[in-house]
Amino acid sequence: MTPLFAWLFDTLDERLGLRAPGRKVANKVFPHNWSFLLGEIALFSFVVLVLTGVFLTMFYRPSIEPVTYNGSFELYAGTTQPAAFESILRLSHDIPGGLLFRRIHRLAAHLFMAATVLHMVRIVLTGAFRRPREINYLLGIGLVTIGFAAGFTGYSLPYDSLAGTGIRIAYSELLSFPVVGDALAFWVFGGDFPTGDVIPRFFVFHVMVLPAMLIGAITVHLLLVARQRHTQFPARGIDGHRFVLGKPLWPAQFAESATLLLWIGGLLAAASVLIPWSDISLIGPYVPGEVGNNAQPDWYMFWVEGALRVFPALEFSVFGIMTISGPFVAGILIPGLVFTALAAYPFVERRVYGLRGDWHVLTNPLEIPLRAAFAVGTFGFVLIISAAATNDILSRMTGIPIEVFIWVFRIATVVLPPIGALLIYRYSTRRLERSGRTVAATEDEAMKPYLFPGPPTAESMARSGSQPED
Amino acid sequence: MTGPSTEGLEVIERTDPPPSQINDSIVALTAVGAAISGIVFAVTLLLGGPVLLYGSAMAAALLLLAVAVRRYFTAKYPDITAVEPRVPPAAGAGEEPITDVESVNPRRSFLGWLLAGAAGVLGLSLAAPVASLGPSPGDTLRRTRWAPGTRLVTGDGTPVRPSDVAAGGIATIWPEGDIGHERSSVVLIRLNVEPQTPTNQAWVVDDVVAYSKVCTHAGCPVALYRERDNALFCPCHQSTFDPSRGSVPTFGPAARGLPQLPMGTDDDGYLVALGDFEAHVGPALPRGM
Repeated sequence: MTPLFAWLFDTLDERLGLRAPGRKVANKVFPHNWSFLLGEIALFSFVVLVLTGVFLTMFYRPSIEPVTYNGSFELYAGTTQPAAFESILRLSHDIPGGLLFRRIHRLAAHLFMAATVLHMVRIVLTGAFRRPREINYLLGIGLVTIGFAAGFTGYSLPYDSLAGTGIRIAYSELLSFPVVGDALAFWVFGGDFPTGDVIPRFFVFHVMVLPAMLIGAITVHLLLVARQRHTQFPARGIDGHRFVLGKPLWPAQFAESATLLLWIGGLLAAASVLIPWSDISLIGPYVPGEVGNNAQPDWYMFWVEGALRVFPALEFSVFGIMTISGPFVAGILIPGLVFTALAAYPFVERRVYGLRGDWHVLTNPLEIPLRAAFAVGTFGFVLIISAAATNDILSRMTGIPIEVFIWVFRIATVVLPPIGALLIYRYSTRRLERSGRTVAATEDEAMKPYLFPGPPTAESMARSGSQPED
Repeated sequence: MTGPSTEGLEVIERTDPPPSQINDSIVALTAVGAAISGIVFAVTLLLGGPVLLYGSAMAAALLLLAVAVRRYFTAKYPDITAVEPRVPPAAGAGEEPITDVESVNPRRSFLGWLLAGAAGVLGLSLAAPVASLGPSPGDTLRRTRWAPGTRLVTGDGTPVRPSDVAAGGIATIWPEGDIGHERSSVVLIRLNVEPQTPTNQAWVVDDVVAYSKVCTHAGCPVALYRERDNALFCPCHQSTFDPSRGSVPTFGPAARGLPQLPMGTDDDGYLVALGDFEAHVGPALPRGM
C-alpha cells in the first residue's frame, strides 16, 4: 500500500474500526469458473446502464406533445414530432456524446439481459438453486422479470414507430385479461390507447421505480451470496460441502472484477462506435394507424412475440362473463407458465429425488435426469418459439410463403421440446445406470467420488489426478 | 502442512510472480496509453469532433486500462489458491429474547393480532389513491368516433369520393375531425372481385368497401394489402383477412373478421359513415364478445 492509501485507511480505521472486518472481507474466497462471471457481467452492465442513463435522463422529455425539431439533423429539421422523439433527435444529433451514450445504454441493456438470462440458465443447469439458496434463486427469477420490464419500458420511451407498436401490443395484452382487462389497461395507460399518459408513466417506471427495484433486489441478491457463500464445481480432493476452494477477494478477485468492468465498458464503447444501434432517426416516429414491416421487438421479447404469432386463432366466451383470447393465452399464460415452472423446479427436484440437507457443490445436469429434461424442455421451447418471431424475415429471405413457416413453428414448438426432454432423460438415466449409480440424496453421498480421507491439503490437491478411493 | 482450521482461510497453493521488466513496461505503456486516450476523448468531444473519433478513444482508454490493471496485479501479488470453511448458518442460535424484558400480559397475543390487523387495514386503505390512475372504461371500447354522416377523410383531412380509390388500391381513412384516433381508423379498398357474404353489400359503394384497420388479434394496424391473393395482412403477427368476404380471417392468430364500416355517400358524392361499427373493433373485450 502506498503511504497515502495507508494513511487514508488508518484514518478511517481509527474512527470506524475497519481492520478486522476489512480483513475478513479481503480474505473471502471466490471459486473460479468462467460461468461465474455471467452474473458479474450483468452487474457491471447495470452499472454502465445507470451511469449512461443518468446522462440521457438530463435530455429526454417524457411527453408526446407535438414540438418542432430545430436541430442540425437535416432529415427532420423544421418538422413537428412527438416531444419524446424530438428530444432523442436532439440528444443524438446536437448534444456532444449524446449519440455515443445512447448507443452504449442500449447495448448495455442487451448485454444486461443476455448475461442475466445466461446466468439463470447456468444456475438451473448446475443446480445452484438447491437448499439453502432457494430464496436467492427466487429473487433471481424476480430480477429477470424486472429486467424484462425495464428493457421493455426503455424500448418504448423514444416513441419511434417500433416503440409505438410495442406499446400497442402491451396495451392489447393488458386488455386480454379476462373480466378485468379493460379496467387494467385503462389503469396502466390512463385511458384508451394511445393516451398522452403512457410515455410519462413508462418514464417514471423506467428511470425510477424499476431501477430502484433492481438496485434493491441486486443488493439483497449479493448480500445473500456473501452470507451463504458461493457454490463451486466439484474438485477432486476437496470436500466442497464443508470448504470453499478459490481465490481470495484481495487481490485476485478484485483484479479480475476491475478488469472485467473495464473490458465491458471498453467493448460496449467500441461496439457503439462500429454499429449504429438503435438509431431511431431512420425508423421514424410513432404515427397513429401506421406500422412497418420488420416489426420485431428486442430479442429478449422474441419468445412472447413468437408465441403471439404461432398461437392459433382462439377467442371464446365463458358464460358470457369472460373472454379467453389468443393474446391472453400466448402473451400472458404461456410466459407466466414458463416463469412459474422455473420458480417451482427447485422444489420439485428436491421432492422427486428425496434430497436432504444443504447443497453447495454444483452438479452436471446429466447426473440429474429430471433436471436435464426440464432444462432441455423449457429452454428448448423458449428458443424455438423465439425463432418463430422472425418468421416474416425468414419468409422474405427464402421466398417460402409465411404460412409454411408459421405451420413449421407451430409443430416444432409443440413437438420438439418434449421429444428433446424425453431423449435427454433417457440418455442421462442410462448414463447413470451404466456406471451403477443413482441420484444421491445427500451432498456427502454425492461428494464421495471426489474425496480423500481428511481435510484438503496441498498433498491431496497434488493427487487430484489420481482415481478417487471409493 | 496441517489441514485448514475451521476458523479461517488456509492457503493451499501459492505462486510468486517473477520480477519481469517486460511486464512493468506493459503496465507503464498501457497506463500512459489509457490516460492519453482519455484526454483525446475529452478534447475531441468538447471540440465537437465526430462520434467515431471520441468513441474510439473512449473504448481504447478503457481497454488499455483493463490491460494495465490486469498486468499490474499479476506482477505485484502472488497467485493464491485457498480454502475457507463453509460456516453453517447458526440457525436456532441466540434463542434468548433480544432484551430481558418479557411480556407479563397474557392477552398480548390477541392484542398483537388486533394491532397487526389494524395496521394491515390502514395500509390497504392508504392504497386507495392508486385507483385514480385510470378512468373507468365504461363502454368506451365498444364505440368509435364514427357517427351517421361522418365523412371519411385521408390523413390530411381531404374527403374521399369512391372514384378517388384506384383499382386494387388501399387507403388509410379517418373520421372527419378525429384524424389520428387509432381505434377509429379504417382501410378503404376497391375490390377487384365480386364481394361475397358476409360482406354487407349495402355498404359497398361502387366496389369500394371500408373495414376497421385495427387488427382483432392484438390491435396493430392491418397495414398491408397483399395483391397476390387480395388479402389484408397485419405485419405484427401475420393475421390475414379476405376483404372480398367481409374481411373474415383466413390465416394467422386473429379469430374475428375486421368489422365493416356502414358506408354510403352524401349529397356531394363524398363517402360518409352511416353509423358506428356494428361489432366492436380491435382485440377481444374481457367480458363477452
